[in-house]
Amino acid sequence: MSLLVIAPLLVAVTTAVCTLALGRRPRLQRAASVGGAVGYVASVSVAVWALVLGPAAPGAAVYQVGDWPAPFGITLVLDGLSAFMLTMAAGVGIASILFSVRYVSRENQRVYYHPLFHMLLVGVTGAFLTGDLFNLFVWFEVMLIASYVFVAFYGTDHATAASFRYLVMNVFGSALMLVAVGGLYAATGTLNMADMARRLATPDAYGIDPAPVVGLSALLLAVFALKAGLVPFQFWVPGAYTAAPAPITAMFAGVTKKVGIYAIVRCYFTVFATASVPVDLPGLTAASPLGFLAPVLGAMGVASIAVGGFGAVGRDRLESVFAYSSVGQVGFIAVPVAIAAAADPAGAFRGVAIAAALVFALHHALAKGLLFLAAAAVEDATKTGRLRHLGGLAGHSPVLSGAVFVGLLSLIGLPPLTGFFGKFLAFDAAVRGIASNPGPSSALALVALLVGAVLTILYATRVWTSGFWGRETAAVEVASADSGQVAVLVALAAAVVLVGVGFDPVYRFAETAATAALDSEAYVDVVGLNGGDRA
Amino acid sequence: MSAALAVAVGGLFAVGTFLLLQRDLVRVVFGIAVVSQATFVYLIAMGGIEEGTGDLVPVLDTHGGAVPEIADPVVQALVLTAIVISFGTTALALVLSYRAYEENESMDVTEWSR
Repeated sequence: MSLLVIAPLLVAVTTAVCTLALGRRPRLQRAASVGGAVGYVASVSVAVWALVLGPAAPGAAVYQVGDWPAPFGITLVLDGLSAFMLTMAAGVGIASILFSVRYVSRENQRVYYHPLFHMLLVGVTGAFLTGDLFNLFVWFEVMLIASYVFVAFYGTDHATAASFRYLVMNVFGSALMLVAVGGLYAATGTLNMADMARRLATPDAYGIDPAPVVGLSALLLAVFALKAGLVPFQFWVPGAYTAAPAPITAMFAGVTKKVGIYAIVRCYFTVFATASVPVDLPGLTAASPLGFLAPVLGAMGVASIAVGGFGAVGRDRLESVFAYSSVGQVGFIAVPVAIAAAADPAGAFRGVAIAAALVFALHHALAKGLLFLAAAAVEDATKTGRLRHLGGLAGHSPVLSGAVFVGLLSLIGLPPLTGFFGKFLAFDAAVRGIASNPGPSSALALVALLVGAVLTILYATRVWTSGFWGRETAAVEVASADSGQVAVLVALAAAVVLVGVGFDPVYRFAETAATAALDSEAYVDVVGLNGGDRA
Repeated sequence: MSAALAVAVGGLFAVGTFLLLQRDLVRVVFGIAVVSQATFVYLIAMGGIEEGTGDLVPVLDTHGGAVPEIADPVVQALVLTAIVISFGTTALALVLSYRAYEENESMDVTEWSR
């Protein structure tokens, strides 16, 4: 029981309220918003260090809302996996809000921009922390309602259409999630994730039948894949990403997508992995829900890599290129997760593959955050985001171009940048997956990663050669990049380099997170359900 | 009772899905509302309906007299939360559909240019 667990949540809520109250004092509101984001980073750092990573840290901690004991009240848990995701959210969040202050026009910032931004952070933080399935749904909704407004923020024909489609998709997704959550409650008799893991591990002791869990978990998988923008649920991504204000797009790509990935890892590996249910479908037999997850998520990941990669190659707008690229990169995160699901539960390899997915998620958050912000800075400076109107930016604004260059190289995966380790570990997982589980599906995963890597090189090169090299076009000649925006980009580029250069502690953090994700017993212990049945 | 609930949930989902697939904006918003209602009925049904006893519901011991069938209070709390969220989302969807109509000058989703 520690108040430190919910410190990031409290900071974000307080900031949202303060910025709402300061709506008539724009200068103060901006200061409060940035201050709140700094406070968020500080609270996440302190909580993660004191509870997970530090020498005297317990490794995980829990906050029981209203002091209700675990299976009855709502539980918030900060363990390695949550800590890793929160750190990522804090990093992208602070960059995004600093950039917003310089990028979004003053009038637009006054229209609830800052309160909404912090509500988005609240939703994301809650989703990462919660240990209760229904509560996860609620945090998703908090996050989504802020997202709907942000997609519609500019109020143009494009933005309202994209927002409406995004809303309808996600309301249907939420309905499916409620169906899954309700079904799981009926099947297992609990909503608490730790309690559910415990009950699924020994179903006979609780008199429950775990058979429906496979189908219900599949519903959840569909909802989480929708949030993560995996194929075949990717079609909202380009519209929403190009319609939302650019700093928010960086948040969408860097953080809210990762909520979907996080939820898949948490629900499947921590909770459903404990169940042993025979799965017998045409062409698919397995002994647990993870056996179902492996081929399905693998196919989704492979398809995402293909759709995202091929989609990105042909786009003309910088934002569209990166939006499609984002679909492909989530595939790169999903494939190692699928490989982990197929791996031997007792072996150490499963943890390695999860860590690979997490490192790739971190790389994607940093690099894609940087690139979306850079695309916005370019558009702000040149008044065009079209590659055909761009050219020669490298000579015109070298610092901005340098930051973009670092981002593109990290996307391609050049050492010593973060992207290198992301790609390296993903390939490592795929190769080891073939060794431990030989067959056409493992080989297909590796081939997909290779094709995806080639496509990444292709569109990254295309962006660089047509937008930044060559003769300066008319739009570029008159361009002047905002120094504040460029400073944020340089800071993010430095983060991409530094995380890559000092990769060892980052990897150990990812390993801690992967261990936490896989250790259901420790999760149950932390929540306070060990020894005896309280119910 | 279970059969009636199952039919109700199935019917609501069918109607909601049908409305969601329409081209008219307002019907899509109605579809959102109906699908949400379908999940609420489903959630209530998931709680099960069983004979109430003092072990299950302490207040019944002192209530006196005959006790009618009771439902699981947890799902009621869930549905209450979900209704509030759904109310907000539906209101936002209505506002958004009006604005999307103004900007795109059509209630027909397929006629939107982007």
